[in-house]
Amino acid sequence: MVKTSQMPLLVIEDSDEDFEMLQILMEDMSVSNPVYRVKTGDKALDFIDQFEESLPGSEVGTTVDDRSPDSIPRPAIILLDLNLPGVDGREVLAQLKRNKRLQEIPVVVFTTSSDPTDICHCYQTGANGYLIKPVDVDQLERKVQAFVHYWLHANTTSDWGKVNLLR
Amino acid sequence: MSVSSNLFGTTKQYRSQQMHDSYPVHLTDFIQPFGLLMVLDWPTLTIERVSQNSQIYLGVCASDMLGGSLENFVSLSEIERVHKALSHLERQPSVRSAYLRLCIELSEEEDNWQRFDCSFHFIQNGSESDAEEKGIKPRSEDETIRKQVILEMERADLHSDLHSSDFHSMEMQLQLQTQVAHSIAHLRAIRDIHSFTQSAAEAMQRLTGYDRVMFYQFDEQSAGSVIAEAKLPEDVSYLGLRYPATDIPALVRQFYQRGMVRFVPDLRADAIALIPHSACHGFETTELEVLGNSPLLDNADADTLPTDLTQAVLRGVDPCCVDFHLNMGVAGFLVLALVKDDSLWGLIACHHKTPKYLPYSVRVTAETLSQFVAAELSSKVNESDADYLLQIKAIQSDVIAAVAHSEDLKQVLVSPESRLLELVNAKGVAVCLDQDVTLIGDTPSRSQVDTLIEWVLAEESPDLMQTNCLSARYPAATDYKEVASGALILKISAIRRYLILWFRPEVVQTVNWAGNPEESMQVDEQGQVVLCPRNSFAQWKETVQATAYPWKKAEVESAYALKNAIVGSVLKQADELAKMNRALSRRNQELDSFAYAASHDLKEPLRGITNFSNILLRRHRASLDETGVKRLETLVRLTKRMDTLIDALLRFSRLGQTELRREWVDLDEVVQKAIDDLMTGREESASIAEIDVVRSLPSAYCDPVLIGEVFINLLSNALKYTDKSKPVIKIGQLTETEQIEKGWDIDLSYHSSVIYIRDNGIGIHKRHYDNVFRLFKRLHERDSYGGGNGIGLALTQKIIERHGGSIWLESSQGEGTIFYFVLNYD
Repeated sequence: MVKTSQMPLLVIEDSDEDFEMLQILMEDMSVSNPVYRVKTGDKALDFIDQFEESLPGSEVGTTVDDRSPDSIPRPAIILLDLNLPGVDGREVLAQLKRNKRLQEIPVVVFTTSSDPTDICHCYQTGANGYLIKPVDVDQLERKVQAFVHYWLHANTTSDWGKVNLLR
Repeated sequence: MSVSSNLFGTTKQYRSQQMHDSYPVHLTDFIQPFGLLMVLDWPTLTIERVSQNSQIYLGVCASDMLGGSLENFVSLSEIERVHKALSHLERQPSVRSAYLRLCIELSEEEDNWQRFDCSFHFIQNGSESDAEEKGIKPRSEDETIRKQVILEMERADLHSDLHSSDFHSMEMQLQLQTQVAHSIAHLRAIRDIHSFTQSAAEAMQRLTGYDRVMFYQFDEQSAGSVIAEAKLPEDVSYLGLRYPATDIPALVRQFYQRGMVRFVPDLRADAIALIPHSACHGFETTELEVLGNSPLLDNADADTLPTDLTQAVLRGVDPCCVDFHLNMGVAGFLVLALVKDDSLWGLIACHHKTPKYLPYSVRVTAETLSQFVAAELSSKVNESDADYLLQIKAIQSDVIAAVAHSEDLKQVLVSPESRLLELVNAKGVAVCLDQDVTLIGDTPSRSQVDTLIEWVLAEESPDLMQTNCLSARYPAATDYKEVASGALILKISAIRRYLILWFRPEVVQTVNWAGNPEESMQVDEQGQVVLCPRNSFAQWKETVQATAYPWKKAEVESAYALKNAIVGSVLKQADELAKMNRALSRRNQELDSFAYAASHDLKEPLRGITNFSNILLRRHRASLDETGVKRLETLVRLTKRMDTLIDALLRFSRLGQTELRREWVDLDEVVQKAIDDLMTGREESASIAEIDVVRSLPSAYCDPVLIGEVFINLLSNALKYTDKSKPVIKIGQLTETEQIEKGWDIDLSYHSSVIYIRDNGIGIHKRHYDNVFRLFKRLHERDSYGGGNGIGLALTQKIIERHGGSIWLESSQGEGTIFYFVLNYD
């Protein structure tokens, strides 16, 4: 069986409150996947850059701390906020989808923006999903639930073989 | 003198009007008897023609003189002087004539000498310089040009005592010069033109001794009026009388314009014939033919043609002229031209009731005085005019300064009301700024002014139209001639319908003619209009109706200056408007992107507040008391509300940023879809409502999604704000006639027809007609009528405005509201 619970999740999110809320909700949903986080677009780009040169690090961490990018393993799924300090989330998305080693990783945009131009743009750039962060907590819960169900539990990622091999 | 009596006999039949103006009075072979005239060949001085009165002046029969030289009668030394003077004259074409006083021995045995005042001037080939000027005869040295000299001789003194008269003549000459010098000094000091001409007339009368000296001034129609007069106390005054243009034929006018002096000492004196050399053999018949007909310049031999006596003082008087003056009671006259800036400004006419001879010296002095007067004319001013001009200028600069600094053109034009009237001294004015017409003072009615404006705009008239008899050009104006006989119409911009129309009332004016001018035009037996001198010169009053005082030059200039100021200010305003528009659209864009970014950034902390409040409520509920829980719940509710407001703001600003996706759509379909959407959304209220498209809607070039939203917003408002158990909503479009009845001027080539949505709801108070479209503006308490967020109509308006259209409403409280909107096709 595929142990999807082992697939690492990278969250690119600048807001501590939003990230904390996400953690709380995922905790409630008993998500066991390792979760990594970078806070800025620039750090996200640094992370992407290391995959240009070398093979991804094989070490799998379980901490949720903000680590230096080179210590983050190649994620199986990326949750991306659009409004980031420094380099914008849209640019991060574009870089991810341009990178031959990372482009197959599903990127789900998780943002406040309900602007149709943003939505269109993200899908055109190669986003695999687009979730709007609602202000209402119940709606937020439903969205996170949907993400967890689909992307973490149900969806098969390109890392399937690797994850399988590891086990 | 049989010839001269025939002269009158043959020419008493008066000429037709056309003939009158061009009749060559200067081509004649008759002279007045107060001197002797010879036509001499140049330079041989052979006598080619001589007046028949030579016997009287020289004691020689005319026919004996012909063919001989002037030398036969004048001593060698005198001939030398003649040659010298003529050679000098020939070299100076600008000088008209030469003067010599020649001493001629009348008979050798008696030592009988006579002094003559002799005037010489050249003519060419019998027809002076006219032919050359008109290009008929090019000036060249070949045989076609033959110079002749006209010599006119008058007795220098009537006393034969040589020595005493010499002394006397010198003294008289100096006296004349002194007198004129005094007159000139006096006249020069006068500034006002009326006093100037009056004093000049008096000076002329003192100098010449005529019974009456008059200054005529010509108007644009060449009619003359007497502006100054010096007369005998017992005589009737002609001051202010007008003389029709026909009184002086056009050709004669031309001669005056070239500075002709006309001197006729005795109108009744018999004319003296000029005898040509060839006429020694039976000339008389030929001569009479020439006189009886128009001049036969083309086919006649040069020798038999009448002589060009334009410049000759002795030239015979045209019978028309004789009758004219005799009818006026004048027996002799002197007329001097007043030429200003190369055009005939007027005349100085000196009349005498009895024959009056003026010596050559006095005439020359009078001419000098008249030339001084003419030269001074331009430096004189009409003082009453000048004062008025100053006053006008002051108002003009006041208005122009006001216009230049004004933001509101209409305001500055119409207030203070009197200013625009004073600007051109009008009694009424209509200011038309596009559809806005303001009437000030005494004007025709609004509808009459409107019709007049239409006429003015349709006329291919200049920017400025002035008339003192509007009805002559625009017959409809007869209806309101009392207020608007005079009109000064300024077109500022035909495209923008910017006009100012000034009006002057009718003034029933009397023009005092010197005799009835009609009298001088009579119809002869052939039915032709002929001119003949009037018999009566008594004042003849002509009443002129439907006429106002004419517009003065300064007033017309004022109107022009105002136009320039307005055009300048309007252009400036348009410039500023464009600048403001650019700034405004930039600011709008900035505002839109600001609102967009702000609402994004506002959302994040708001979400934090909501989320953590909820965490508190869920996970830490136990540690909170009941009030704490309640307040936290309030907090959550408020954040939700804030969220919807931010959403509204977002949508609103996004509407300003996104491109319209326009296509031709059937609005009927758009409405139907909107109704369907609404029904599914709120089944309870929509199902009981009655929503009808009562008149099929047109197609429109628009963004169907956004326009659909417009209908949804308007319909849901209609469903929301009602107190009726069964809301009734009617949708349709106005017909063109209905639009016109409403007074809405909508150009249907650019706009859709007016679409309306009428409900039977609670209605909107008139004071809120504009408020309802304001963002976040609500008219009712938060929770009543479904608790709107005050965004629907603001969005609706913004959508329509983005389509280049507009939305407005009519409402009656308790009965319902009608929203109207139009879309632009561009």
